[in-house]
Amino acid sequence: MGAARMMRMPSYGSRLISGLAFGVMAVFFVVPLIFMIVVSFYQPDPMGFYKVDFVWENYAKFFSSFYYTVSLRSLYSSALGAVLVVAFAFPLVLFVSDLSRSHQQFWIISLLSLMCLSEVIIGFAWLILMSQSAGIPGFLEWIGLWDNPRSLSPSFGAMMIGLVFLGFSIVALILYPSVSRRDRSIEEAAVTLGTPPRLVFFKILLPTFRASLVPVTLTMFVYMLGVFVMPTMLGRPKDWTMTVIISDKALGDANLPLGAALAVVMLIVTVLVLIASAVLTRRRTP
Amino acid sequence: MRTLYFWIIGTLLIAPFVVVLGVSVGASSNIAFPPESLSIIWYRELLTEPEWLAAIGRSLLIAVVAGLIATVLALAINYVLWRTKTGFAKATFALGLGPFLLPPIILALGASLFWAQVGWYGRMEATIISHGVFFVTLPLVIIARGFAALTDEVVEAAQMMGATPAQVFRTVVFPLVAPYVFTGFALVAIISVNEYLIANMISGFVVETLPIKIFNNVRYGYSPVVAAASIFFVALTVTILLILSRITDLVALFGTSKDT
Repeated sequence: MGAARMMRMPSYGSRLISGLAFGVMAVFFVVPLIFMIVVSFYQPDPMGFYKVDFVWENYAKFFSSFYYTVSLRSLYSSALGAVLVVAFAFPLVLFVSDLSRSHQQFWIISLLSLMCLSEVIIGFAWLILMSQSAGIPGFLEWIGLWDNPRSLSPSFGAMMIGLVFLGFSIVALILYPSVSRRDRSIEEAAVTLGTPPRLVFFKILLPTFRASLVPVTLTMFVYMLGVFVMPTMLGRPKDWTMTVIISDKALGDANLPLGAALAVVMLIVTVLVLIASAVLTRRRTP
Repeated sequence: MRTLYFWIIGTLLIAPFVVVLGVSVGASSNIAFPPESLSIIWYRELLTEPEWLAAIGRSLLIAVVAGLIATVLALAINYVLWRTKTGFAKATFALGLGPFLLPPIILALGASLFWAQVGWYGRMEATIISHGVFFVTLPLVIIARGFAALTDEVVEAAQMMGATPAQVFRTVVFPLVAPYVFTGFALVAIISVNEYLIANMISGFVVETLPIKIFNNVRYGYSPVVAAASIFFVALTVTILLILSRITDLVALFGTSKDT
């Protein structure tokens, strides 16, 4: 141990590396965020980007009815999506963790592939799957269940399916380590004593994993607030979330200060949710 | 009950891609499934049309360089944290976790304003740097596992033989964490190739990457080439992950075995 301890004295070289790494993160990650906050107080300039100023006007616009409604709608669809994703993914992770090692590997690689895949491609795939000519509606007509098929997207339901699909692999991969390493003795004891599987799930597994399920739901909530492609591809304009509006303001209307102000509001919501998540996790783990 | 659930989820996860595959090998220029006759014309168009090829090339270039930036950064942060354990090193590590926790739109808008101010708005270098910095989290966490697995004995042995810190790093530390470094690099490259929002907001109108091209095509009327491009993507992603699973134990990396 002695030699290793000695090595941990900060040397000139490691200080230099440390400073450089911190500098890169600060310049390209923190500075843009700070600059965005600064721009949110600028005046929009229809001819260019913005005029340097200090006004609350952009934030005042947020509290006008339109953006207020959009925000509430974003919060609603993200919350619903987050709960649905976790509800679908948790049982799957439980089942996968009981499979043989090679089957587990198959699921992990599949989920990892899905996690890495572009939103754009997943959105496009669902767009086709819900289209009248190539997707589920056509299939239902073919087997005679739907006489007069029409496209299922764009709609709120289509957008939600897209969101849930997108979040599914992420939630499954986040939950997987703790679920696969769980102590199985309590469940086994319950099963041996004749407890039906449904009761084992609700009385033992759900309470045991509450400490991981709550933070993962909150993480998903934040994640879904930021999804851009699914609402634009699969949702109607009236389903559009805050992310779409921000991008629309910044790129479409070239009103960068307003876009920045909306993004700052989202940043504040995100930070609050993250703090809540951290507090909840800390309290639950002994 | 269990088997049924596996089948339902499995089908739902795979169904969209089966349909896209079907569309991509169909001969008709209308989106139709199941395809009436098979053909590879859309793949030929994808791989001969200069615009699609340029988009593929751009995406791959951005992915590889961004992957390098993210991994070097993650390795540096982890190395210093492992060697010094100072508060500053811990703070840098925590800062590296930041981008993963924020919705990408916030990062994208911040970066877009930042690059506009710097004067690099619309340049590929801007997209590369931002991808590299924003995707540092994954290699950071993965390489941290590599450093956690390093035992003091090997390092002590090297030091007792008189190795300098640089020699210890080159001959002992790096070879041992290399699989983690490589996994981190590959994951960043895959995520960068697939990323739409950040790339679009920083320089999407000039630097059209593959996801941006697909998105624009879908929005303004599309042909089955988009389906072929999507399948190309899926194949690329899955292939890299399969190669990766041969090199490192992905299951262990995600923390299955009880001893890790």
